[in-house]
Amino acid sequence: MTATIAKLVMRRFLVAIPTLLFVSILLFVVLRILPVDPAAMSVPPNATLAEIERMREQMGLHLPIPQQYLIWLGDLLRGDFGTSTHFRTGVAGLVATTLPATIELAVMGMILGGGLGLCGGLLIFYFRDTRTEAALDVGTIAVLSLPDFLWALFLMLVFGVVWQILPFTGRLSPDLDRPVVTGFLLLDTLITGQPKTFVNALYHMILPAMALGISAAPPIIRVLRSSLLDTYQEDFIHQARLRGLSERRILLRHGLKNAILPTLSLMGVQFGFLFGGTLLVEIIFSYPGMGNLMVDAIRNTDLPIIQTVGLTYCVMVLLVSITVDSLYLILNPKLRAR
Amino acid sequence: MKRRSLLQMIALGTAGAKIFGGAAPAFAQDGRSVTIAWPSDVPSWDPNQRFQPDAQPLFKSVFDQPIEQDAELNFVPSLFTEWELADDGLSLSFSIRDDVVFHDGTPMTMEDIRFTFYERVASGENLDIANTWRNLEDIEILSPTSGVFVFNAPTPTAPQWLAFMGSFVVPKAYMEEVGVEGFRERPIGTGPYKIVEYQMNSRIVFERHEEYWGEMPAIQRVTVNIVRDPSARVAAVQSGQAHLTINVPVREVERLGAMPQLEGEINPITRVILLQLRHDMAFDDQNVRLAVHHAINKQALSQAFYGGAAVPLSVVAPPGTPGYVEGFEFPYDLDRARELLAASGFSPDNPVRFTMATTNGHFPSDYDIARALVQMWGEVGIEVTLDVIEYARYFELNRGNQLPEATLYSWDNATGDPEIFTGYLLNPQMPFSAWKAEQPGDRVLELFAEPDYETRIAGYQQVNRDATEMGATMPLLQSVQTLVRDGGLNYRRYGNGWVLPASMSWS
Repeated sequence: MTATIAKLVMRRFLVAIPTLLFVSILLFVVLRILPVDPAAMSVPPNATLAEIERMREQMGLHLPIPQQYLIWLGDLLRGDFGTSTHFRTGVAGLVATTLPATIELAVMGMILGGGLGLCGGLLIFYFRDTRTEAALDVGTIAVLSLPDFLWALFLMLVFGVVWQILPFTGRLSPDLDRPVVTGFLLLDTLITGQPKTFVNALYHMILPAMALGISAAPPIIRVLRSSLLDTYQEDFIHQARLRGLSERRILLRHGLKNAILPTLSLMGVQFGFLFGGTLLVEIIFSYPGMGNLMVDAIRNTDLPIIQTVGLTYCVMVLLVSITVDSLYLILNPKLRAR
Repeated sequence: MKRRSLLQMIALGTAGAKIFGGAAPAFAQDGRSVTIAWPSDVPSWDPNQRFQPDAQPLFKSVFDQPIEQDAELNFVPSLFTEWELADDGLSLSFSIRDDVVFHDGTPMTMEDIRFTFYERVASGENLDIANTWRNLEDIEILSPTSGVFVFNAPTPTAPQWLAFMGSFVVPKAYMEEVGVEGFRERPIGTGPYKIVEYQMNSRIVFERHEEYWGEMPAIQRVTVNIVRDPSARVAAVQSGQAHLTINVPVREVERLGAMPQLEGEINPITRVILLQLRHDMAFDDQNVRLAVHHAINKQALSQAFYGGAAVPLSVVAPPGTPGYVEGFEFPYDLDRARELLAASGFSPDNPVRFTMATTNGHFPSDYDIARALVQMWGEVGIEVTLDVIEYARYFELNRGNQLPEATLYSWDNATGDPEIFTGYLLNPQMPFSAWKAEQPGDRVLELFAEPDYETRIAGYQQVNRDATEMGATMPLLQSVQTLVRDGGLNYRRYGNGWVLPASMSWS
């Protein structure tokens, strides 16, 4: 099995290379044809036109776009992601600083969203053909129709302002110091042995993760339900009933095990969307992640950051996709046999 | 549902509520610390690198400036104990304090002053202060506590710039030791607070600098949460998760201010909302420009968008600043607007048409003001197309002389000096000016080299008046800063909108 998975992973990595190249070309060309001047953005406001022109040449912006792209790609392959025109510092450092917070938030969002989705899917299937199912169905549509940033504001209002039980700014309370080891706050609090800070960080993560996760749940609910409906047409379910197993046992032991595979694929796709959704959620909850950096970059037309963050999103989505495919292979013996 | 399951669920719910409720972070103040919800972060912790008005209070917490401004915007000694601009404006002699130490305990010296304003600029680093001090030839060190700035052209506003954006003293030895990148990661200054934690776009934690040379801050620990979303800032201060915030919508200030534990303020500051104009295209006709100006009801704009707190302006200088012209008023007069348009052959049947650029969200209610202006002009038969531009694009368009006839803009000038208002906005050689005509540009250029303060200020007052009367600029309102704070938190209100943690204390 390990060899099969290794082969699949290798193949998917090879396919990822042209995908990344295509995305990088797309990103680069689109950003270059926008009516903005990165040179003008990287000089002081009172710089003269001659100084801007000098900067333009320094940045290679006077060259044809294909040549600019090749230079950028060459630098990228050497590990040089360029210099931010707004922050005037290396882009790689900025992305490396902010990426862990976004990954942490997205993973937590996915855990919450996936958990909600799975529980919701099971519940709605359990109550199939009843009024409860109809009510739950309306509920999922309602949840789906609200974008994650509106959920963010709603959750903030309810849990932060009205009930005042959950914090919604930043990652830690003012009286606590942030440990810095890996950049992953939850992990760092554990590494440095600070359980109080760990719990506090977890509290701060609940609302943003919920805002992200809630939007991810409804599609999972719907796919799991329809997948369960299909599975329940199979002979082994009837045989399980004939063996006298309880409905709950059939659902959890036999139905779910077989219906989970399409749901897992969907969760992979959802994770990609969820990662993109961090942009606004991070702004609203003052979360120091890559989404916040991206909004800064867009506001300041900081092309090197936009390009790098865009590519990083792409890499993350590809990595998740490869991981999900591997999991699929582990869970589905039929695929391994092929 | 079985009774047993129900009881189990209730027990679980109660336990969960206890855990969550009991361990929820406490937001109350302890008398020694303050939490602030601030709308933007610093571009980097190199204070000489980037000009960003909203970052000034953050920089001023960590770094000191050679000259300081008090709450009434008077220039007062800070790191410089005294200074004097030469009559010809070609040099500025100064003395520094001898009791100032950086956060690492090393004393501040003349070398640090020379390094900040001369050596860093001369080294060719990409710093915004390089443009400010481009006329600086050298800083001569005369003694351990005195020296001279030597300029190659008259620089009459050198003292003002020493109290303005980017002019923060950094430690030479430390910066050379750790490098610029190292400094940005672990910055030290001579200011009232040390940075003990910084996470970009999220939070800054300051702790009091116990060896501070100046007035010791009352607050020991300041947590600045960077909260960009105005709704989140409102929620933060309403829920007690922040004790103070700024730049929230006016209606929210009114709502929150009515709550017993909160105070809401709408404070006029040294920021001007104006229309920057071209002198060509549809605006090559002075009658048209003046008609456009006469048709604007500034009082109505102030009432509608700033609760009446924004002062209507007739010159590009707020009341109380040196360039303000007392008693001069450009009237709101629809009949006069119609007359001027008719004199140039325009009427509602043959309307004058132009384009106005505006940002949406760069300053409070910008887009709404633009839409209101379009409606006001419609009353006298002026047809305007709105073009929404990004703030970042504004500079680019202005530099390339590509802005349309009018641009709604907000101009910040913490010093209040007229050079940094009218001078910059009407100097045809500067990229800030949309107006490129010889007049009043030539007069402004002369004032840039005028070393005598009284003559310079009188000159700017006259230019301000003339610029409005000829339609070279259209000042609208003195901008306001909205602020909401815990009723027990005191702070010093500065005329330029600075909100400094060092000035805060609890009742």
